[in-house]
Amino acid sequence: VSDAVTPRAETGSGWYVYGVVPAAAASDELLTGTTAIDASGAVAFVADGELAAITSVVPLAEFGEAAIKQNLHDGVWLEQKVTGHEAVLETALARAPLVPFRFGTIYRGEEQVRQMLRANAYLSETLQRLRGTVELGVKAFLDPEEFERGQLGDASEEPGDSGRAYLLRKQRDRQLAEARAAFTAVFAQESHDRLAAAAEDARANPVQRPEVSGGEMILNGAYLVRSDREEAFRTALATLQSINQPEGVRYELTGPWPPYNFVDVEPEQ
Amino acid sequence: MSTPIQSTGRLPQAGMGGRQPAQLADVLERVLDKGIVIAGDIQINLLDIELLTIRIRLLVASADKAREMGIDWWEGDPFLGRGKSPALEDRIKRLEAATGLEDGDGNEPGRREESEKSG
Repeated sequence: VSDAVTPRAETGSGWYVYGVVPAAAASDELLTGTTAIDASGAVAFVADGELAAITSVVPLAEFGEAAIKQNLHDGVWLEQKVTGHEAVLETALARAPLVPFRFGTIYRGEEQVRQMLRANAYLSETLQRLRGTVELGVKAFLDPEEFERGQLGDASEEPGDSGRAYLLRKQRDRQLAEARAAFTAVFAQESHDRLAAAAEDARANPVQRPEVSGGEMILNGAYLVRSDREEAFRTALATLQSINQPEGVRYELTGPWPPYNFVDVEPEQ
Repeated sequence: MSTPIQSTGRLPQAGMGGRQPAQLADVLERVLDKGIVIAGDIQINLLDIELLTIRIRLLVASADKAREMGIDWWEGDPFLGRGKSPALEDRIKRLEAATGLEDGDGNEPGRREESEKSG
């Protein structure tokens, strides 16, 4: 009926949870240098039993139900908060195993955070499973021009604008496109399999659009790697790079990341 | 140390706004679309998040070009734009009504009210 929903502004505070670490690792040192997702707050632990949640007190005027719904539409707000969430976890990641929470998990009080820790025993199991591992990201890009050169060798293009030259160019373009599609399909699977073999677990995520990555992304993988096997993983990647470079493939390694890709998205209760 | 792999590595003091758009895409992808989901007391409408992650998947992307051109990457997107899109809001509401996710006023029936009373 009405064209706009005006949210009733909430007052008071909420407890924003970034992630969970073992209580034994929950020292002030772990949070040194962190900045809270909301400028007015600090980053602090709420502990219960074996677990400690990394939290910040946030104003409900900004993070309340109606307010956050509005704010999600604001690109500036969203970028800032999402980056803030990640920055806190990256700092803690250096010194403790952690379970990263998805953006926007907020409780009404400290006691509710404790209840959440008590109610979710699998958090401990997950921390145990993740102990001593890191998430690494590997993206692979194909340079179409280099790929073409690799395919064509020194074959020179039919010059001129005769009908014959035009048809030959059309045919060549079609063949190249087919070769490229075939290559990327096989390549992505092969690269992913090889990297997965050097990891404990692996995910192949949808590729990002060319505008962001500045190239044609053909693999967007995440790998859970044991810290003591990280060198072996890097070697596997370097090997892939040297094999595929002539085809116009470039790899990019990112991380270590909090293990976002290796926690159950919606765990069974 | 002589691997030819380009590594963006850990971000130096990961401050806000210091990221490259490509890295921002990686961050958005993870923080909004991955990570453990445990129900909080503040419910973010599932449909909102779902739409958001779909938009993010499609959109993160335009960051590079957009910034090069001096505009913010979400501009021009009907969902992430700073203003609301009445058409989209309307569509969401109708979808919500149809799926019984919410009543027409954006309140989720039978949820959270009790925590207010007993808390």
